Amino acid sequence: MRIVVGAFPDETAMQAALGRLREAGFNAIETYGPKPAGEGHSPLPLVILAGGLFGAALGFWWQTHETVQAYPLDIGGRPLFSWPAYVPIALEIGILLAIASGVFGFFVVNRMPRLWEPVDDAPAMRRATSDRWCIAITTETPEQARHALWRFAALEVDEVAA
Amino acid sequence: MTRPSPGDPVALSTSNEAMTAHVSAVPFRAQPFAHYWLAVAPFGALTGVLLGSILYLFYAGVGIWGIDWPVAWGFALINYVWWIAIASGGTFISALFYLTRSEWRNAINRIAETMTLFGAACAGIYPILHLGRPWFFYWLFPYPNTMGLWPQFRSPLLWDFFAILTYVTSSVLFWYFGLLPDLATMRDRATSRRWQVFYGALALGFRGSSTQWRHYHVTYGVLAAIMAPLVCSVHSIVGLDFAGAATPGWHSTQFPPFFIFGAFLSGFATVLLLVMALRRLLNLQAWMTGRHLDVLCKLMLTSSLFVGYAYVMDGFTVFYGGEKADIVNYTARLFGYYAPVYWGAVLFNVMLPQLLWVRALRVNQLLVTLLCCGVIVGMWFERYTIVVISLHRPHLPSAWGLYHGSLWDWLTLMGTAGLFVFGILLAIRIIPAMSMFEMRETLEQRR
Repeated sequence: MRIVVGAFPDETAMQAALGRLREAGFNAIETYGPKPAGEGHSPLPLVILAGGLFGAALGFWWQTHETVQAYPLDIGGRPLFSWPAYVPIALEIGILLAIASGVFGFFVVNRMPRLWEPVDDAPAMRRATSDRWCIAITTETPEQARHALWRFAALEVDEVAA
Repeated sequence: MTRPSPGDPVALSTSNEAMTAHVSAVPFRAQPFAHYWLAVAPFGALTGVLLGSILYLFYAGVGIWGIDWPVAWGFALINYVWWIAIASGGTFISALFYLTRSEWRNAINRIAETMTLFGAACAGIYPILHLGRPWFFYWLFPYPNTMGLWPQFRSPLLWDFFAILTYVTSSVLFWYFGLLPDLATMRDRATSRRWQVFYGALALGFRGSSTQWRHYHVTYGVLAAIMAPLVCSVHSIVGLDFAGAATPGWHSTQFPPFFIFGAFLSGFATVLLLVMALRRLLNLQAWMTGRHLDVLCKLMLTSSLFVGYAYVMDGFTVFYGGEKADIVNYTARLFGYYAPVYWGAVLFNVMLPQLLWVRALRVNQLLVTLLCCGVIVGMWFERYTIVVISLHRPHLPSAWGLYHGSLWDWLTLMGTAGLFVFGILLAIRIIPAMSMFEMRETLEQRR
């Protein structure tokens, strides 16, 4: 397997080439660019919600357990289960776990940290985080992919081992 | 470079290449700037002063400070609240104005978030220092222990411990998450092996693939939507530290929003000050234009009006409530020994910022610098008013007394100011001072 990388000067050119490559029958395609692109589905908001709810529930339970069972303090006959006072800490722990699950969930979903991938060997990729938009095609027939990329106006085409 | 004007576009140059090259050149030392070490030296020295005063404090105990009865909470609490307020403004700019899609936010959010980090670090030092036996600070954390003890979960002081823990951790995570794409840019632009390894390790393999960006974009938005209310909750809880006590001058339901207003005022002033300084130091005038100064001045003016409203309501509730101890306390604030501090806060936080109604003055950098410094000092006066003036007139006249910060109090305060600026100056030599990937979106929209 080989990876063929083509670099484009802007996002529009890259998108146009991407559409035509798909029509030409190339499937294993990944694109790279220096700014956020591509709206789409991601499980992470649900992961964040789950982390937040778990944290808040854990915090609430923790406080209930300790004030009611582990260390009950009778202060002027006030109820031990004084739940309104538990809300701030439950909220803070919920937020902490929500943010942590968002950031670490992002790493897990993207299998990061992976400091090196075969595609990184393509010299064109060096500018994909600055001012170039790249298309990487993983293919058995690199010659066809190279031709297609040149035909669809790539500025630069590199080929590396997959 | 022409003088900034309120009518400036959000970016004077729309070239992505120029922006990326300029911003990434600073950490690579490609453009040495002569003033840098001149700026670093005094603040590094002040950080040394901070270390010295902390060591002496650990050796001698809190007796070296000016605290005593009835004012048992002195500089440590004033400075803690003051710093955490400054920090909050940074998160607010970065998170809330991300959600509102404000185009001016992208040029300054990195500065704002970095400011938050070091502001929160300065704030976080004080609660530990003021404990008296700081080596037992972990007793605040509820963990199973052989003493069979648990902390008091119904106390706002414990809520505060969790709020600060959450805030500092989340701020670091949010800051780092926002840095990832820029660290990847730095890795790919680095020419020496040393920097490639350094930024490569920090970027954790972010390479801008469409899959990464898709998850990134969604996650960043949700995190911003959580960070914005988090700031409000943290500062509300700081307000509850005071409001939860039955002390005259503290026991007020308006404290949580009052503290948030103050946090925004001092935070915006500090961000504005940093933006004005760093755009010159790093030659970022093309992307931090008169428009940014104008917007930040307007935000400062708005929050100044909020703070003014809170001051008025503070007086109103005292007299409307009619509690004698509250009235005595409030009168002492207006006309007593510490009255200059209170009126200083009113002057710097409410009156002087009203000059910003005038459009031309909002880009007069000398005047705005003075106003920002005024607000930062004024907010410290406000914290002094809340902590010291309230405590020096408790319910019983036999317990009245005065308070003055000692030399060590002042040295510690100056020391944290040194740490704050020193930290930011070091950070801008390592990380890009402007969020490059977000600026690319802004620049594209401008084209």
